[in-house]
Amino acid sequence: MASYTKAAQQWATFARAWYLIDGKLQPPGKLAAMSVIRLQGKHKPMYHALSDCGDHVVIINTRHIAFSGNKWEQKVYSSHSGYPGGLKQVTATQLHLKDPTAVVKLAIYRMLPKNLHRRTMMQRLHLFPEDVIPEDIRNNLVEELAQPRRIPKRLDEYTQEEIDAFPMLWTP
Amino acid sequence: MAAPSLLRGGWSRLVSGFLGLGGGWARPPARALRQVVEVTEGSTTVIEGKIIEDVKTPTPPNPSGQCPICRWNLKHKYNYEDVLLLSQFIRSDGGMLPRRITGLCLEEHKKVAVCVQMAHRAGLLPNHRPLLPEGHVSKKPKLNRYLTRWSVKSVKPIWKRGPKWCRVPFRVGHPLLMDNINYGQKPVYLNH
Repeated sequence: MASYTKAAQQWATFARAWYLIDGKLQPPGKLAAMSVIRLQGKHKPMYHALSDCGDHVVIINTRHIAFSGNKWEQKVYSSHSGYPGGLKQVTATQLHLKDPTAVVKLAIYRMLPKNLHRRTMMQRLHLFPEDVIPEDIRNNLVEELAQPRRIPKRLDEYTQEEIDAFPMLWTP
Repeated sequence: MAAPSLLRGGWSRLVSGFLGLGGGWARPPARALRQVVEVTEGSTTVIEGKIIEDVKTPTPPNPSGQCPICRWNLKHKYNYEDVLLLSQFIRSDGGMLPRRITGLCLEEHKKVAVCVQMAHRAGLLPNHRPLLPEGHVSKKPKLNRYLTRWSVKSVKPIWKRGPKWCRVPFRVGHPLLMDNINYGQKPVYLNH
């Protein structure tokens, strides 16, 4: 732009940024869609598939993600070891209890383009089940992205004034 | 005496029912809003629900509606998140109030029931839980969810979803709420 030195402009264009996303009460598919765009570098105007312009993405609170519908019971994650009788099918609930980051990790892995860059992009993804982040990653973070889903308020989170302001629809 | 008052009560109900048969289902409320009053006299405690005579309810924008939702012009405008509205139609243990008490029309009663179920499963009504014995710890895993159509215990895993052209979809939300006004550009997807 106008008043930056060439070196500063080059650094700002090609530096790898670290983004933070809070996954509390968020659907893992939408989290994955947001992170995949940033891991590939498609949010940058100078994107090119070969220019390795992807950024780092840190997702916290993956233990508290929320699936819409009955997906916790209905969604099945399957894997086959290649040997006969080696099919393992696990529901999303069982997988999540075993490994709280697996659901988000698989969602992102399956949304990335199926090429050799996928593994490097997965190495730039950092998932944490709670909001405890190591010191060095916390120092690298640049921006926190907005959560994809608007979280509704619980009934006990409303103040008494808001409850009184809402009219009574019917009287017995 | 008890007998004449009982007879009169019975007659008035018969007469009002008769009048109601000609028109719609609308009849005057038999109960009223009550306030719990507890009076202790020596060793006797009397807990009474005193009927409040003058209830200051604000006038609804459409007084000619048949059910509370139509009267307040909320026909296609509420969802599982509007807990302030839904909490007016539920009991303290989370169950729905009967239609003859609340005065809702059948389709709105069903929609509110569906929204209340979804709100319970999303954990938006934490204080309307059924009474459990003390010290009861549930062994179910506490997972966050929203827009759940079916009860958690009743759903089976979809072991084979099939190929893309005949995929078994995940059902989200409820078809009764398809007519809700959507202010965003994206339509409401019920099949994921």
